[in-house]
Amino acid sequence: MRTKFPTIRRNEKRKTQPSQNITNNKKDDLSMGNSEYDIIVVGAGCAGPAAAKKAAELGLKVLLLEKSQKPGEKNVSGTCLNMAALVDPDLQYLMKGPIEREITEMHTYMITPERTTMMRETPSEGLILLSVRRDEYDAWHTEEAKKAGAEVKLSTTVMDIIEENGTITGVVTDSGEKYFGKVIIDAAGVNSIIGRKAGLIPKRKGDKMILYTILNVWLGEEVVNERFGNSIYYFLGPNTQHKTWPWIFPKKDVVTIGTGGYMDDDLFKGDIKSVNDYMQNLIDLPIIKEKLEGGKVEAWGLHLEFDEEVEKRTKDRLILTGEAGGFVIPFLGEGMPEALFTGIYAAEAAAKAIEANDFSAEFLEEHFMSRINENVFMQSFRYIADLNKKSIMSMPDQEIAAMMQNVVIGGGFISNAIHTSWMKGAEEDDMGLVQDAKDFYDLIQPYRQVGSESVEIYKKMRAEK
Amino acid sequence: MKVDMKVDYYPGDTGEFIKVDEEKCTGCGDCAKFCTRNVWVKDGEIYRPKNLKDCAECGACWNICDFDAVIFGEPKGGTGVRFEFG
Ligand SMILES: Cc1cc2nc3c(=O)[nH]c(=O)nc-3n(C[C@H](O)[C@H](O)[C@H](O)COP(=O)(O)OP(=O)(O)OC[C@H]3O[C@@H](n4cnc5c(N)ncnc54)[C@H](O)[C@@H]3O)c2cc1C
Repeated sequence: MRTKFPTIRRNEKRKTQPSQNITNNKKDDLSMGNSEYDIIVVGAGCAGPAAAKKAAELGLKVLLLEKSQKPGEKNVSGTCLNMAALVDPDLQYLMKGPIEREITEMHTYMITPERTTMMRETPSEGLILLSVRRDEYDAWHTEEAKKAGAEVKLSTTVMDIIEENGTITGVVTDSGEKYFGKVIIDAAGVNSIIGRKAGLIPKRKGDKMILYTILNVWLGEEVVNERFGNSIYYFLGPNTQHKTWPWIFPKKDVVTIGTGGYMDDDLFKGDIKSVNDYMQNLIDLPIIKEKLEGGKVEAWGLHLEFDEEVEKRTKDRLILTGEAGGFVIPFLGEGMPEALFTGIYAAEAAAKAIEANDFSAEFLEEHFMSRINENVFMQSFRYIADLNKKSIMSMPDQEIAAMMQNVVIGGGFISNAIHTSWMKGAEEDDMGLVQDAKDFYDLIQPYRQVGSESVEIYKKMRAEK
Repeated sequence: MKVDMKVDYYPGDTGEFIKVDEEKCTGCGDCAKFCTRNVWVKDGEIYRPKNLKDCAECGACWNICDFDAVIFGEPKGGTGVRFEFG
């Protein structure tokens, strides 16, 4: 098992780089000016507070900047946190946050003009997901970062980066304030202006970018309990999505409905002029209509989701985390655990850089990516989703519906991924592919065993809250 | 139930955080097509973000534009769209 602060405590030989002449200032070092920090984190969504909290715990002087008045109020998400990730010792504290509903089941509906097929999956005896509302959860998480010692400025938008001799040394806010940091952690999400200005985030569309809309429908706690219970729901019906998978995730007294599609030429065609039309068709499906009867639209939302890898996640003194860094699982659209993990890993890599006085892109990349590469959760989910996305993007809509019958989320996705590689290897006489599938099967065993012990951890964390 | 784009805005001036580069805009209309909030409106030969006050800040227009004609910045701190439930 990992030690708590693996990066900064280790006695490693310091690499000194004469070109990097910024001294190793610490929080209590009086030589650091008011606007100078060890680390500046931009964005208080998922990745930002995780990075700021970790950096503060490592003894660094941290500034966290967020453009909304309350963290989470500018974010749009399905908001189900995956327990398979939260049981990681680095993320367990997140179980102490404000939770709307404990999810234990999944239902999948395949709707065609002829029939509706429903599958119910109760994957393990453990909890599978925690449903949260981001305007509460991100705000709580930001408070945790503050408690750990990070300085937080809300209602503060980063408008630009400051570059000196081609190296990023700080940020400029909307009020013209300048803040300087030894390392900048970009946690500003999918369209991050930091990543864009630094030349790491290009424009994206087609099969790389999804336009999502959500609808929050108020039903009251009792009705949500009765009609939705502690289950999430996936639907595949005619004209209700474009190569994505519509869903309903229940919160406490509200359910969140999401749909949308990849931003290619076929996103809008025929009667579909906007993602709202997909949403309307979805909530008009008799099975959903019935479940929403008597409900009231409480809030609507719109957001992009990029689900491919960003080519480069680091530059000298800069690390891209979460959605800014393209850390979203393709096709499954899950990105909160990935953002939380990469936020923490970025803080650790930044601490190492300060320790070693080496702020080069290569140094940051090496220490950031090594933690990501050893994270079984992130690796296995990307592998699964990559394979599933590939097979789905190449199919016409009718075939996707047929395939979905064999691919239920969780166990189904995993077996599809293994099966796809294995069969392709067998067909093409490529033992490498078969071996890949087998290696992957071995790799995910720990994940498959997440069961009752996750409930124990959860209970312990809730009690400590 | 009808899809109702119920969305809040913080009070305060966002600033002109989305603009058109008049030189680059070809009037193809992709920005308007991919805008769920009808921010982009045709004005002569080109499109302009005339209804910026309705913008949900998703960035689809910037991402979709093949001609780099959308100048996409950020609203001022504490202004712009606010999503209840997040
Ligand atoms: C509809 C939808 C449903 C989803 N459902 C799920 C789900 O159920 N489970 C899951 O795991 N993932 C889900 N995701 C993905 C998940 O929401 C994202 O991957 C995750 O929020 C990324 O976290 P982040 O911290 O990188 O970015 P964000 O959560 O987007 O946070 C970025 C933060 O930076 C702030 N910011 C941006 N620019 C600036 C600036 N210039 N200055 C200051 N602040 C700035 C923003 O206000 C925001 O608070 C969903 C996504 C969508 C769109």
